[in-house]
Amino acid sequence: MRSDAPKRQVDTGTASSERISRPVDVGAREATRVGMLMVAPAVIITAALVIYPLVKGFQTSLESADAAIGGQPRFVGLGNYGDVLRSSTARDAIVHTVIYLALAVTLELTLGLAVAVALHRTFRGRGIVLTILILPWALPSVVSGVLWRRVFDPDSGLLNSVLQQLHIVSHPQVWLASRGWALAFIALVHVWGVLPLVSLILIAGLQSIPEEVYSASAVDGATPLRQFRHITLPLLRPSIAVALTVGTVWAIKIFDEIYVLNGAALNTRSILMEVYNTTFVNADFAHGTALAFLLTGVTALFAGVYAVTFGRSTT
Amino acid sequence: MRDISLKVEPGELVVLVGPSGCGKTTTLRMVAGLEAVTAGEVRIAGRLVTGLPPRHRNVAMVFQNYALYAHMTVRANIGFGLKMAGMPKREIRGRVNQAADILGITELLDRKPRQLSGGQRQRVAMGRAIVREPAAFLMDEPLSNLDAKLRVEMRAEITNVHRRIGAPTLYVTHDQTEAMTMGDRVAILRQGALEQIGTPLELYERPVNVFVAGFIGSPAMNLLPATLDSSGDAWYASVGGSRLLIPTKTRAALQPFAGHDIVLGLRPEDFVSTEDLREGAHGVIQATVARAESLGSELLVYLTMNDATTLPLTVRLDRRAALQQGAPTRIGVDLQRLYFFDPKTGAAIR
Amino acid sequence: MTRCPAAQLLRVVAITGIGLWSLAPIGLGVATSLSTQADVQAVPARWLPRHAMLDAYRSLLGGTGDVRAGGTVSESGAFAHAMWNSASVTLMSTLSILCVAISAGYAFARLRFPGRGALFWAIVATTVVPVFTVVIALFGLMADAHLIDRKLGLVLVFVSTTTPLAMWLVCNNVKELPTEPEEAALIDGCTRWQAFWHVVLPQMRSGIAALSAIVMLSVWGEFLIPLMLTSTSASKPVTVLIPEYVGKYTTNYPLLAAAGVLALLPPAVVALILNRYIRGMLSGSS
Repeated sequence: MRSDAPKRQVDTGTASSERISRPVDVGAREATRVGMLMVAPAVIITAALVIYPLVKGFQTSLESADAAIGGQPRFVGLGNYGDVLRSSTARDAIVHTVIYLALAVTLELTLGLAVAVALHRTFRGRGIVLTILILPWALPSVVSGVLWRRVFDPDSGLLNSVLQQLHIVSHPQVWLASRGWALAFIALVHVWGVLPLVSLILIAGLQSIPEEVYSASAVDGATPLRQFRHITLPLLRPSIAVALTVGTVWAIKIFDEIYVLNGAALNTRSILMEVYNTTFVNADFAHGTALAFLLTGVTALFAGVYAVTFGRSTT
Repeated sequence: MRDISLKVEPGELVVLVGPSGCGKTTTLRMVAGLEAVTAGEVRIAGRLVTGLPPRHRNVAMVFQNYALYAHMTVRANIGFGLKMAGMPKREIRGRVNQAADILGITELLDRKPRQLSGGQRQRVAMGRAIVREPAAFLMDEPLSNLDAKLRVEMRAEITNVHRRIGAPTLYVTHDQTEAMTMGDRVAILRQGALEQIGTPLELYERPVNVFVAGFIGSPAMNLLPATLDSSGDAWYASVGGSRLLIPTKTRAALQPFAGHDIVLGLRPEDFVSTEDLREGAHGVIQATVARAESLGSELLVYLTMNDATTLPLTVRLDRRAALQQGAPTRIGVDLQRLYFFDPKTGAAIR
Repeated sequence: MTRCPAAQLLRVVAITGIGLWSLAPIGLGVATSLSTQADVQAVPARWLPRHAMLDAYRSLLGGTGDVRAGGTVSESGAFAHAMWNSASVTLMSTLSILCVAISAGYAFARLRFPGRGALFWAIVATTVVPVFTVVIALFGLMADAHLIDRKLGLVLVFVSTTTPLAMWLVCNNVKELPTEPEEAALIDGCTRWQAFWHVVLPQMRSGIAALSAIVMLSVWGEFLIPLMLTSTSASKPVTVLIPEYVGKYTTNYPLLAAAGVLALLPPAVVALILNRYIRGMLSGSS
């Protein structure tokens, strides 16, 4: 192994004329070519199947609904948005969604914190417990709805049966027909599927708190409860923000569980369900897309608010 | 990076050394083709390779963290370059076995990198480089992740392998001892510029400026503010209340600085203790011992000068030197080995 | 915190609670699927069947002609066909999403080309837009392209809605990998593409396992998108078919539960096998 010729490197800033022009860098050019080729599919798909339809959809939301009945669409500005906000079913749907959101996020955070505190330290069999924990998240939400449906059924429901045996109710209740119970139970089924995700985020957050912080505060005489209040919670803020965002985003687009448990019934209809009904059942794309864009805006707003409030106080 | 002109002769090992962030690794990566060269040219084995992708440069590189392919066996790691070159399997096998033999890692060939120790990984990285018989070797701090003892061992090993193979090698390190012991020539870089290139002895004997003088040698050269007194025939450098007679041969170069400030450089190893002091050959410095550390074979003594400046001075003395902490002492310095630098530019005066 | 018996006890209670909460609905579903209508309608309710029967599964999958499921009539073979639709759409989508997302994620993380930053953020920004908004907007285009009620149409939509997030995750994953092995490969004679294929891709194995698991689970469980885009057994996945077994007045619970159990088997298996990777990715990012 030898090379006879010398190797030389010259790199002269005070260059003579032929060196003023940048040397053609074949390596960099190759990186450019390969790079552009490798991102091309993602760019084309996103542009054609996400960005373009979104622009088209937004345009639809600004035009009159006449196209659905064969007429020529007119530009109506934000008119469809106003119609949607004035419609009573849409307003109900907004109220229902806010209730789902509040119930779900509250339950997810409190239960998630409890689960995280119980599971964040290593113990024998922790892997198995964690595996079981994520199972509900892995299942299709349609299936969660199916699994829970028999519990709430008025005739052959297990809840009614238990309550009757305990003499809490005298005759079978039609749980999903009452607005309050129905919203609560649907939120519960939703939480069943999302809690694993929230718990995992909070467990990771707890694990990132160094053990020394606890030891130090224990030396200072803090009780476990005070430790939780004054050390764990503040240090957990970033994780709570992520969990809150995830919980909100999932709750705001709740659909599948409602559809399986209670169909399109008006007493439990969520915003997304109203979007679906307007667009595909009533074939009113203009108002459907308007409501969808409203929901998109609200989702982005929530995520942004969480990011700002929690992001600022943690840095 | 600016103004670097450097030529590695066949069979030569040139070390690039300098403080962190001086651009030594960048230079190496530009030669490898991993970093773009904005102006200038790179030739390997006489061939212009500026702008070519790394694979067309016929170089091999050893990385600081070895950069082994974690999912391949040692055999596959070493043979990967040959496989990419389309060499037949049997020939690859032969070449890999030969390289493994040179490096003494034959029994590791079927292991995965994570089953190897640091030293063994280092050898695999070397094997991956030599098996390809490249036109040039590039080594980026290959020993810095090893512990001290292994580092000394591998230093000798790399030198041996290099002798045996004879391809020109560019070697980057921040460790000046490594540079001085391994390099046929050493290039000192600072802030992207080449300060000096030469054999280790040249750098030690004739540093071109204060930076090189301070960088080469351990402990570092004492760099002291001094004034040049020219009183007739005898020229003196006054430093910390002592006067050192300047040899006649350096007077010509010092002419412009007569009566002005200069920087005086004194290597710690050029001092002698009071007992060994010979008038005429040695200049005398009055100082107080602040601290003395025994290195076994010799003494490392930290002194402060006796006058108001209390300049610090580090010297290496014979281990038998009788010294008392806190006591004033007279030490001698070899008058033939004084270094002078321009206090404004830092350039050597000689 | 010290280990005192009270805390230990509390933990045991908590773990039992978590286990029950997660598994009881699934267990109830399995029990219901093995019941007869008589078991289900018994008063007071019978939680477990008298005799475990596979009748529900038989009528769901078997060729006994029309099956009366509550108020709905289900043609025989429809369920098996829906399972096949779900499986094939999930596999095709997952494969396509992985290819597109890995290649783009890697290129954005490691290669320099004009417009890199702008393109990256344009794609990542679309993850903020909820999927349904995209799909409603897409519906017209799909209809024009005759892709409604076609599996290819579903795959295309899943690819477009899932790729941005998947690509982002891949990009972060690649950025955490050391660059040196890749550079060593370039010096060892690889082209950019070969270095990616031979050296980077193998390093990404666990990230890819996690990503494919999460993509598979989400595509398999998707309901609203296929509800909008499918209408017949040509493309209808199992998630859309199952709600059709819910009767208007009475529901054939054993049949519904059997369908649910069969539909949860594939995701449950994926979650059990790849749970370590899934947990890593969910707790890390999301």
